Amino acid sequence: MKAVGANIARYDGVAHVTGASRFIDDVRLPGMLWAKALRSPLASARILRLSTAAAEAMPGVHAVVTHADVPKNVVGHQEVWGIAADEPLLAEDEVRYVGQIIAVVAAETEAQALAAVQAIEVAFEERPVFLDVRRAWASGEPQVAPDGNVYFYYPDQPQRQIRKGDVAGAFARADVIVEGSYRPAAIEQAPAEPASAISVVGHDGRVTIYSTSQALYYSMEITGRHLCLPTGRLKFVGGTVGGGFGGKLDTVTEPVTAVLAMKARRPVKWRWTREEEMLCSSTRAAWHIEIADAVTRDGWILGRRTLTLHDAGAYMRTSAYACSKHTFHLAGAYSIPACAFNTFVVKTNRVPSAAMRGFGVTSASFAIETHMNRVAEVIGMSPWELRLKNANRVADTSPSRVAYANPSTVTTLLGAAQAAGVELPAELACMTNAMRQGDLLPAHLVGQQRQPGPHLLAWRDGRPALEGGN
Amino acid sequence: MAVHRGRGIAAIEYPTGMNQGGDPSQAWIKIQPDGHVDVFSGTVDLGQGSKTVHTQIAADMIGVPHDWVTMNNNDTDSSPVSFGTFASRGTFIDGNAIAVAAYRARQRLLELASRMLEVDAEDLEIADGDVSVQGAPERKVSVAEVTATASWTYGEMIVGSGAWMFPHVEPDKVTGECEPHAAISYAACVADVAVDDETGEVVVERLVQVYDVGRAINPTLVDGQIQGGAIMGLGLALLEESFPYYPGTEHRGPEFGAYAAPAMVDLPELRNVALEDPDPVGPFGAKAIGEMANNGQSPAIVAAIHDAVGVWVPELPAKPERVLRALDERRQPRRDGRRVIFDEHLSVAAVTVAPGDGPGQNAGGGWRFPLVSDPL
Repeated sequence: MKAVGANIARYDGVAHVTGASRFIDDVRLPGMLWAKALRSPLASARILRLSTAAAEAMPGVHAVVTHADVPKNVVGHQEVWGIAADEPLLAEDEVRYVGQIIAVVAAETEAQALAAVQAIEVAFEERPVFLDVRRAWASGEPQVAPDGNVYFYYPDQPQRQIRKGDVAGAFARADVIVEGSYRPAAIEQAPAEPASAISVVGHDGRVTIYSTSQALYYSMEITGRHLCLPTGRLKFVGGTVGGGFGGKLDTVTEPVTAVLAMKARRPVKWRWTREEEMLCSSTRAAWHIEIADAVTRDGWILGRRTLTLHDAGAYMRTSAYACSKHTFHLAGAYSIPACAFNTFVVKTNRVPSAAMRGFGVTSASFAIETHMNRVAEVIGMSPWELRLKNANRVADTSPSRVAYANPSTVTTLLGAAQAAGVELPAELACMTNAMRQGDLLPAHLVGQQRQPGPHLLAWRDGRPALEGGN
Repeated sequence: MAVHRGRGIAAIEYPTGMNQGGDPSQAWIKIQPDGHVDVFSGTVDLGQGSKTVHTQIAADMIGVPHDWVTMNNNDTDSSPVSFGTFASRGTFIDGNAIAVAAYRARQRLLELASRMLEVDAEDLEIADGDVSVQGAPERKVSVAEVTATASWTYGEMIVGSGAWMFPHVEPDKVTGECEPHAAISYAACVADVAVDDETGEVVVERLVQVYDVGRAINPTLVDGQIQGGAIMGLGLALLEESFPYYPGTEHRGPEFGAYAAPAMVDLPELRNVALEDPDPVGPFGAKAIGEMANNGQSPAIVAAIHDAVGVWVPELPAKPERVLRALDERRQPRRDGRRVIFDEHLSVAAVTVAPGDGPGQNAGGGWRFPLVSDPL
């Protein structure tokens, strides 16, 4: 064992900081055209008329593409998980957010492409917008999508939910019920490198795509679906990316440049500007989270109820995934035996939200932990003690009933107290993550314990278990 | 005016790999005739250094010096599937696939060394680029000799391939029951802040952050994740918002200067600790650190603001105008019997529920959000 645990310098560190690393925007190919997009200026509108004839006649223009040029225009980012596709690559008869892509031009220079974009004729009929997730079902609100403002996980159940334990009993027995609302904002992933792609059609029709994707195979799958090509007819080149933070899972520049390159019969590059990256690319979602905790005076959390509304923006992208993940983590680092969690994906006329670092859980951590601090204040207990008592321990179970095998909430909290110079009372400082017993096993936590099961593919003696592999 | 100081804490947990699993990674390895190792996997290095971590895993699993290993992730023709670099899966899931491939390449090396040394493969070990007989370390042959002999004398090739995936699970529709992830990482954060009660400005003076990462494959890169996450979490807590008039859609600004993400000037004193409680499934015991590194700061900072000036800011970011408004309003929770209700003005009930609306439906018989205060 020499490399693992060693502070080995990043092999590409010097190249990155000296500018020697080659990123996608450094790639220039012979005959390469540049793409620019016409984007919606309106948050919700019908497209009454779209004419690219004048743009196609502009100097240097080799191709203008609209939805009609895309072999399969509507492809979902989560179709493989059964989430129905709802987002067109290029807008068809409507736009649902400011910045939505309507048409894209490939020309010999970016300036020529931009001039041609301005020559595209489009007529809109503006519609009222829907923006406040809390009012998704209020009467008279505009509908973002034909199937309404709220996504349905199941035909008869819109929410992802958790139901565990006797929630009504927990709230009936509580000394105090603490309720609060939490609203973390939408923010930008803001990577240094904006989304970029270059598509080249080979002599055999195979398409090579240089991509800033943070998931080459995932983006290749989505691109293949748009182009109606098996992924074997595609080759993705990339792997070194200037920051992603989740935003580079959105796969847009790749299929659009491929469609342009096929039409223009020339390589096509599209690099988003900083403005496009900020204003038109996906954000971290804004969330609305309400929590009610059933608490005892001596600092046990008997039960928790939550309501989460996730602002998906105009299309689903990865929101259904985020809300499922969010729901599983609403007990945070604690053992709460009675849980009723309801999480809804709500569509609005806003730029779609999508993945960002901590996807689905960052919002939960903010809400839960702020709420824990408020609970501590209400019952007059130190926030350290409240956390350390309720912290998950071996054989406690998560909201989705997974037994914790080796949780480190107690260890990290005690480590933080030590590193911060906080002296905790002896009865807290000696706590461990060991299975609950004695004073740490009050009646309400007895029934929820479960022996941790063996992991499916465990390592043994430092070697990977090979069964089930190839 | 006065500057008030306060402290807040948070404890968080975060899963490794995609929620509900089903996100495979694959790798294959060829060992060149001179013993150098080429690892192929369709991963993406976003700047966090995943390629370096992956070469470390391969080097130790095979038993060769780290600088013999090259990580190839340049294109999908040569590199097999990685589901992608997201969901805190690079070290753990890509890393496990690479470890399995390296283990198999090592087994091939041992087979061929066994032929050269005329010793059973089970009695051989590989370390620092040499294959030696266990208990008789003087009987050895270098990996480079084995690979050269394999290529030029035996006409053999040394490869290994591997894959790893946590199988996909579907949650129960009603209860949500399922085992959704391969591992969970944990962390705690302590924030010390100074709040100016005249300007509403919050300065984070120190962040203490403790993470259990299972095993730090590369401690410097782990610390890089903690530092980068800290400043990102600070942006989330105090500075960043796309839509300052949310739910309005007017954007903060189209360039970095207007958007005002945190810069180095905002970086507080950092005290970072990485604990190592090895995970039974992760490569060499490693668990994820990537995403969770920006999750703990915002609640700790909001609690520290409350500790400093006695007001809660439940909407992020806790920008100066929000802090000042909270100081002006000094909103108290409403007490109703056993209920202590914070932020009632923000709640769904406050903006939507009409008299007569029952749980799950509105007065017109349509859908309504189930409130946390609804009768069960």
